[in-house]
Amino acid sequence: MWNREIAGLRLTFHLAGINNQNFLMRDDQTGTYWQQISGKAVSGPLRGSQLALVHSDELNFGTWRSEEPSGTVLQDNSKYRSQYEPKDWDVRMQRTQTVMDFHEHGLHARDLMLGIRAFGASRAYLYDDVHQEKLILDHVGGEPVLLVVGPDGQSVRAFRDRIPEAAGAPAFYRRPDGILMDAASGSEWNFRGCAVSGPNQGTCLAPVDMLKDYWFDWRNYNPKTTVYGRR
Amino acid sequence: MQRISRNVLLACLLFSFALLVYPVYVITPFRAQGARELAVALAVLQARPVADLSICMAALAALVYYWRSRPRRWRGALATLSALLVFAFAALARINIYELMFHSDDHPAFASASQTKLDKDEKVIAVNLGGAARAYPIRVISYHHVINDVLDKTAIVATY
Repeated sequence: MWNREIAGLRLTFHLAGINNQNFLMRDDQTGTYWQQISGKAVSGPLRGSQLALVHSDELNFGTWRSEEPSGTVLQDNSKYRSQYEPKDWDVRMQRTQTVMDFHEHGLHARDLMLGIRAFGASRAYLYDDVHQEKLILDHVGGEPVLLVVGPDGQSVRAFRDRIPEAAGAPAFYRRPDGILMDAASGSEWNFRGCAVSGPNQGTCLAPVDMLKDYWFDWRNYNPKTTVYGRR
Repeated sequence: MQRISRNVLLACLLFSFALLVYPVYVITPFRAQGARELAVALAVLQARPVADLSICMAALAALVYYWRSRPRRWRGALATLSALLVFAFAALARINIYELMFHSDDHPAFASASQTKLDKDEKVIAVNLGGAARAYPIRVISYHHVINDVLDKTAIVATY
């Protein structure tokens, strides 16, 4: 999700090619080509420019709707609806060949990862590990972060593990209903990272941008990435 | 003059074909691309409209001169065919084949969460800007790949 405004222009993008299984897009205003995965302009008048990332979460629709009952949803375009992926698209994609692979950390090309590039570092978490542990307290580039699975058992969010006016990184634990508890204050925190009870009520943790991606792609764009739980 | 015209036509044919085919050859799904060849392919794409225009004009001029040299009929026909092919390659080069495969949605429509019938475990990309919340079902944006949108007066592009 990128901000379309850059260099005083509001750009309109179109699909313009496939680049190692990510895509390239081209803006109508300057004809510059941009990489979808990085938001970087790779060719054309704005070459070298960087689009600003807009924070987004990948969630189950039910979870999102319960959080945002007044939100709006992109509708199918009826002309092309028949060409949309079937519901098991992610299962089918697992079987699709890749054009590259990185045999590191015992990972396979299409292993699903959750990647964080922040605080000067890149770190990836095997989705299955996160799914299993439900809550991971970790560090990225020296900064404490936490990854938490929502009450739906599938959606995942990442936050900075810091509470204003609290020293150090609070130690959280996750209840079976998905509520986070911080041991120090006993506050309850919802899946949006906001305290809903206790001394920290009203405080929200800062979200951290995270990308759900296949290992080969994450590693291709993050050559120095570390992997949680792997050497 | 006849020979020069013929050689110019042949060169135009070869160049217009190369300009059409090379970027498609490089920028293809399921093919690993090196950074340099991608840069070259993109440079070709950017220079192509002007290059094609010049090539078409050169091909037309060459054809006119060739016919003026009174060639044999079949040679003249072949030259005309070559020029037509040059124009055809230039026209084909204007087509964005990626958007032929994955049509854009230039006027995306939105409905309220309560009016939207999706399974609760359908995956969406969720954004919240200035309190305005929007969800993009992955099954929709994974087809269109690019959705240009405005949310809370911020122009954003959802990509997948």
